[in-house]
Amino acid sequence: MRTPWDIIRKPLLTEKAMRLMEENKYTFEVDRRANKYEIKQAVETVFKVKVKKVQTLQMPAKPKRMGRHVGQRPAWKKAIVTLKEGHTIPFFEGA
Amino acid sequence: MGVKVKKLEKNKVSLEVEVGADEVDAALGKAYRQVVKRVTIPGFRKGHVPRKVLEMRLGKEVLYEEALEIMLPEAYDQAVDEAELEPIDQPLIEDVHIEEGSPLRFSATVEVKPEVELGQYKGLQIEREKVEVTPEDVEEYLHHLRDRNAVWQVVEEGEVSTGDLVIIDFTGYVDGEPLDGGRGENHTLRIGSGSFIPGFEEQLIGAVVDEERKIQVVFPKDYQNEDLAGAEAEFDVRLKEIKRKKLVPLDDEFAKDVSEFATLKELEADVREKLVAAAQDKAEAQFRQAVVQAVVGNAKVEVPPVMIERRAASLLNDMEDRLQQQGISLDVYLKYSEKTEKDLKDEFTEPARRDVKTDLVLEAIATNEGIEAGKEEVEEELALLAQGFAGDEGDEEEIKQQLREQGYDKYLASTIVRRKTLNFLAAENLAQLE
Repeated sequence: MRTPWDIIRKPLLTEKAMRLMEENKYTFEVDRRANKYEIKQAVETVFKVKVKKVQTLQMPAKPKRMGRHVGQRPAWKKAIVTLKEGHTIPFFEGA
Repeated sequence: MGVKVKKLEKNKVSLEVEVGADEVDAALGKAYRQVVKRVTIPGFRKGHVPRKVLEMRLGKEVLYEEALEIMLPEAYDQAVDEAELEPIDQPLIEDVHIEEGSPLRFSATVEVKPEVELGQYKGLQIEREKVEVTPEDVEEYLHHLRDRNAVWQVVEEGEVSTGDLVIIDFTGYVDGEPLDGGRGENHTLRIGSGSFIPGFEEQLIGAVVDEERKIQVVFPKDYQNEDLAGAEAEFDVRLKEIKRKKLVPLDDEFAKDVSEFATLKELEADVREKLVAAAQDKAEAQFRQAVVQAVVGNAKVEVPPVMIERRAASLLNDMEDRLQQQGISLDVYLKYSEKTEKDLKDEFTEPARRDVKTDLVLEAIATNEGIEAGKEEVEEELALLAQGFAGDEGDEEEIKQQLREQGYDKYLASTIVRRKTLNFLAAENLAQLE
């Protein structure tokens, strides 16, 4: 059973994500298999807020080299969650 | 800002300082702006990390530390000013309490200048030596002047005597073999100067111009060239010229030659004046030294070890500078005098204690008597100093400003006060002669 805490893997802390926060949009790395509805549910239960909309995108795997070994960074799913007016997530705990 | 002063044992003072919360927050903001330039956090370019993210990733402590570095020195200086203390050492800062949105609190323990218990420093009736210049002193001075202006005159007829300058050719032999480096042509030698092998100069006495003499000498046992030490040698010497010192007569002509005066009488008067002035300066200096010694001796001060150590170190520094000017490094000096740096420092401890005590006592007297340096006086000295620096280029006003920034005005003020204090003491303690 996937719990909401499994679906939201971690918040994304980048300059871009910070910029989006000003528009009340919070960015997460989420389970690749989760759909927008599951993500909405998960955010609402974990952070006790109301979600207005969820946008998702698949981040491609990227090849990375360690010396002469070629490896892959795993692919992942990014979700940008817009909250309803008046709702905020105090701050991302743990990164 | 709030400061509470507590006196501890000896010359120690403890300060309880409190700085307002607003200032703390301002300092934290400044600290963040400084820290953010140094750190890199994934997801952010350097310098673009928001404060919240920074605090979360690195902890607030980083900002607190940085903020303290900004605030503490300033707050401490201000507290010292407010409490009107004169610290002589680095403070020991303890119990620092800093938190966002609340006042900064810390305590600083510092050693301050000791209190001086002045003894009698007025009316000590110290005598200044009376200056006397006798006609003999003047004569002796003139004699030196004559000697220095004597001319060497060639003696055509006559014999060599002590004090003469002779020009000779010579060749030296040991066991009939010419001596390496034992030849000389047109060599100038002063008889009685002792610059040649003992006996050489003496055996020339009585010779006349163009005479050739054979001179037998024995090299001294401790002669630098070991092969020759103790060897018997013979020199063929040819005397080419004799010069003798001739003193010029002491008359108006002489006065004109050596000075700007037209007559001997005027020169004598001038010499007398100069000798009197020199003797007076010396007497005054001795008198002042005696006064200071007496005044300082009458006062009681417990000189803190820190001050002594620091002064000793500065004395050592001065000495190193002096040596350096002579092209000797301190290490070399230590090797030759077979001392260690610590020996020297120990040697300097007593003079240092005396110096510091003198400074403290003079300062205390200045305070007691309200001796101060006027603003104009400081300005005057500063202008003088600036003129010296300005030289060919540079704006005097600008240099003055720079000097002020470097704290020269305070330094000058303290020298002026010291000078005035010394004058005051000299005037107050001169023995009244009946």
